[in-house]
Amino acid sequence: MTAAAPKKGPAVEPGGFPLNEFIVFSLIGGIVVIGIISAVIAGATPKGILTNLGFYVSVAIIFSVLALGFNLQWGYTGLFNAGIAGFYLIGAYVAAIAITSPAPPIVVGDVVVYPGHLGGFSLPLVVGVLLAMVAAGGAAAVVALPALRLRADYLAIATLALAVTLQIVTRNAQNITGGAIGITSVPPPILFQGTDASFLNAITMVGIGGFVLFALLVILQFMSESPWGRVLRAVREDEEATMALGKNTFSYKLQAFALGGALMGLAGALYAVTLGYLSPESSFAPAVTFSVWVMVIVGGSGNNRGAFVGAFLIYGMEWLSVQVRDQAASGLAANYLLMSVLFIALGVGALLAVLAVQFVGRRVLDRRRAWLLIAAILGAFGAAPAALGALPIGWCFALFVLLFGFAFVVDRAKKSRRARAGIYAAATLYGVGWAFILLQQLAPNAVADSFFYIRLMIIGALLILLIIFRPEGILREKKRVLR
Amino acid sequence: MNAVEKAFGGIRAVDRCSLDVAPKSITGLIGPNGAGKSTLFNIIAGLYRPDGGEIWFNGTQIDGLPPYDIVGLGLTKTWQIPHELRNLTVLENVVLAAKGNSGEHLLNLFFRPRAVKQDEKQWRLRAREILKLTQLDNLANEHARTLSGGQKKLLELSRALMSDPTLVLLDEPVAGVNPALTGSLMDLIERLRREGRTFFLIEHDMNVVMNRCDRVIVMHQGRKLAEGPPATVKTDPTVIESYLGG
Ligand SMILES: Nc1ncnc2c1ncn2[C@@H]1O[C@H](COP(=O)(O)OP(=O)(O)O)[C@@H](O)[C@H]1O
Ligand SMILES: [Mg+2]
Repeated sequence: MTAAAPKKGPAVEPGGFPLNEFIVFSLIGGIVVIGIISAVIAGATPKGILTNLGFYVSVAIIFSVLALGFNLQWGYTGLFNAGIAGFYLIGAYVAAIAITSPAPPIVVGDVVVYPGHLGGFSLPLVVGVLLAMVAAGGAAAVVALPALRLRADYLAIATLALAVTLQIVTRNAQNITGGAIGITSVPPPILFQGTDASFLNAITMVGIGGFVLFALLVILQFMSESPWGRVLRAVREDEEATMALGKNTFSYKLQAFALGGALMGLAGALYAVTLGYLSPESSFAPAVTFSVWVMVIVGGSGNNRGAFVGAFLIYGMEWLSVQVRDQAASGLAANYLLMSVLFIALGVGALLAVLAVQFVGRRVLDRRRAWLLIAAILGAFGAAPAALGALPIGWCFALFVLLFGFAFVVDRAKKSRRARAGIYAAATLYGVGWAFILLQQLAPNAVADSFFYIRLMIIGALLILLIIFRPEGILREKKRVLR
Repeated sequence: MNAVEKAFGGIRAVDRCSLDVAPKSITGLIGPNGAGKSTLFNIIAGLYRPDGGEIWFNGTQIDGLPPYDIVGLGLTKTWQIPHELRNLTVLENVVLAAKGNSGEHLLNLFFRPRAVKQDEKQWRLRAREILKLTQLDNLANEHARTLSGGQKKLLELSRALMSDPTLVLLDEPVAGVNPALTGSLMDLIERLRREGRTFFLIEHDMNVVMNRCDRVIVMHQGRKLAEGPPATVKTDPTVIESYLGG
């Protein structure tokens, strides 16, 4: 890079068509579609599939609430919370203790099988949720009160310490939290009986969660776009300057941090009723905190839609990798026909998407993106014949070489960088497509397992790309044009 | 203001400096680089705590008060190095500087939504008026980060005016502003002075200082060196020796 690096053009969205939103929602749609296909391949019933999807949506909603809380703290106010898991844990345990019925210790002979837990106060769900929010918000305020007066990094250290300590305490304070076993049988909002219970429960949770998320988005949007929210953003940009403009920045930071903490508590309460049981080990590990950071960064911080979309995307990848590992792999190994249908369906879907986009916004969609989409379709279709077994693998390889050779020739002849990139991408995707098929035929479980294990690498690579090309996240913070 | 001092490590940036700024005046503060002028402003505005001395403003002792309370009393400062809020628009930057915008209180948002809306509307109108004065109105909806250095200085001034101050501390308000605009800016400042505001400004542009200021205070190595009308100060031998002469 020379000193006179090419200046990036103004980041203008092409006239009107919300391309980024389109991409994001297609990705989420894609996650759902592939999840459904995996389940179909594995021979699940429609109710089973919906239950499964309901689980994805309700957990994604929980993560959305966490991400919205973190976005209020970090995205709007610039306060870094390194202990999201801690506030989440407080919310979950407070809600669980409030709403479960008493759980006395279980002792068999001299052995304590289950230590019991505090209370079991059988309070209504709404009360439990409110208590969870107050407790987590209060904890956030207590941590922030001293830490916010110090340098910024103290807040990160203090919150991290809180989260780690809380996880250890919940494991060891057996009489209060049920120790390592945790709290079981947290009552669902509505108790269903019979064979459809889990299906009905999943649907209820999606309904409740969806309502909560929608209400939160509306309220948070109202708050963050208000003069109050403007002060938060000002604090994020330059606290000293904001103070010199007459704002009590400490008070604003405290409000934002406590409210963010309360949202994390709300997420915890939702978690407790969605899952029905709590234990300190996996659910409240530091990994939760990292995931929420990634969600907000990927979605685009300083922007409530970004937080929510990031949660659905990142948790979606997690969920999908489990679906593919547990369902698609075995189903695919047994059924080549389904596999080819899958690829053709993907290809047709992508083609339709391109046509739709072209139709909606011929002018709008920039060429380079169109080429990439077309390339993706070629890749998908290219893989289909191999999958069908219609063409021997050798022929597929020959086709791949031909296509790549064609790309090379076009590259030489035309100097259009976009055309070249598109053709190379098409050829490469085609190759990747049939290589995948080949592997799938030879070692179906290996492919599924490796997809599961490399999902974090994929997310990592995506993050790196994002940081290079779009540090502000997929949905960037919009400029507020005041009238 | 009395015997104010401030040290950074071993450096006495402001060393027992006593001075007065008369109401409704334009008072200039000059001195070589590193004399402690900006530090003095930061102390007055409450951004630095003084190590000693006391500061009075309109009958209130303000040393030790937090900056936002000092702004509340009607004393606002601008920055030598612009502190624009980069990812807010110019208009947002200015509206933010309004005092007592009811929508900045969380509870009002929910319990007095009407008043909040009304208030915000008024302030936006006021902000637009100020942007007209400082000739930034055509950039109102641009991100502040996209402004040039001189425009950022104008934004500093706009924000200061938005808080409806009685005393404005301007830290090099026209450095980097193009010469044609400098004139009209100083005209604006003189006009606002006639309306009853007081300006205390740091400036290196001797034209501005000599022609526009009623009084000039000279600082050197943290101390007040001289004080008086521009013409007198200009001929003061100690000043010439330490500053003007080289
Ligand atoms: N935050 C700070 N920390 C340490 N030293 C400082 C700080 N701010 C200013 N100084 C020192 O104080 C002295 C006065 O600086 P300043 O008030 O900016 O001068 P002026 O505005 O008159 O050019 C300089 O020697 C400078 O290096
Ligand atoms: Mg200075």
